[in-house]
Amino acid sequence: MTEFPTIYSITEDELDLNSLLAQITLPSTGAACVFTGLVRGETGRDGLPPRTEYLEYEAYAPMAEAKMRQVADEIRGRWPTVEGIAIVQRVGRLYPRTPTVLIACTAPHRDTGVFDAARYGIDRLKEIVPIWKKEVSPEGEVWVEGEYTPTPGE
Amino acid sequence: MNEITVLFFATMRDRIGERGITLEVPEESRVRDLKRILAERYPGAAEAIGITLVSINREYAFDEDLIPAGAEVAMFPQVSGG
Repeated sequence: MTEFPTIYSITEDELDLNSLLAQITLPSTGAACVFTGLVRGETGRDGLPPRTEYLEYEAYAPMAEAKMRQVADEIRGRWPTVEGIAIVQRVGRLYPRTPTVLIACTAPHRDTGVFDAARYGIDRLKEIVPIWKKEVSPEGEVWVEGEYTPTPGE
Repeated sequence: MNEITVLFFATMRDRIGERGITLEVPEESRVRDLKRILAERYPGAAEAIGITLVSINREYAFDEDLIPAGAEVAMFPQVSGG
């Protein structure tokens, strides 16, 4: 049985989207769904300043990588046709227009769940992977609060 | 007594004023007991300690969970990666 590639990491380095995609592309791969999140410079969300100078990300790296692995396992449990999975979060000081996170899933065909799988991956990362960000603007600093409380077994 | 490590991240680190500490807790201590010990030691952070997320050895943990000897405990707010 083929061992499908699974990449999960916390990094301070620039995300190389092409390299990450290449690492989860197999000879049998015909579709990839790549999601990447970026720092938004113009925000204006509730209670936050309208202009972001930069975001400061931090992670509890060893637990974060273990939880990324768990998210990848959950994806494989739900979408058995997924071949490669990459889940990578960049940390440190990141400026607007910079990719901060990548979730990518590959499969033989586009219609076997890769879109849903990547969507699930980013949603779960935002629920259970211990990473935090602080928004820094000319008005000051605000920690961005998450909304999800994990339950036993997560 | 068991020696354990407690790490603090994000708002918890700001409130406690430390990245991490080692401390001795009685054997058979649970997460709830550790929260009480830390709230006494850091009264300014007591409210935050009351609602913090907790992990033991890199898995989410809850008030009734026992803290094993040598554990790496972490306290942090709800996550906001992405």
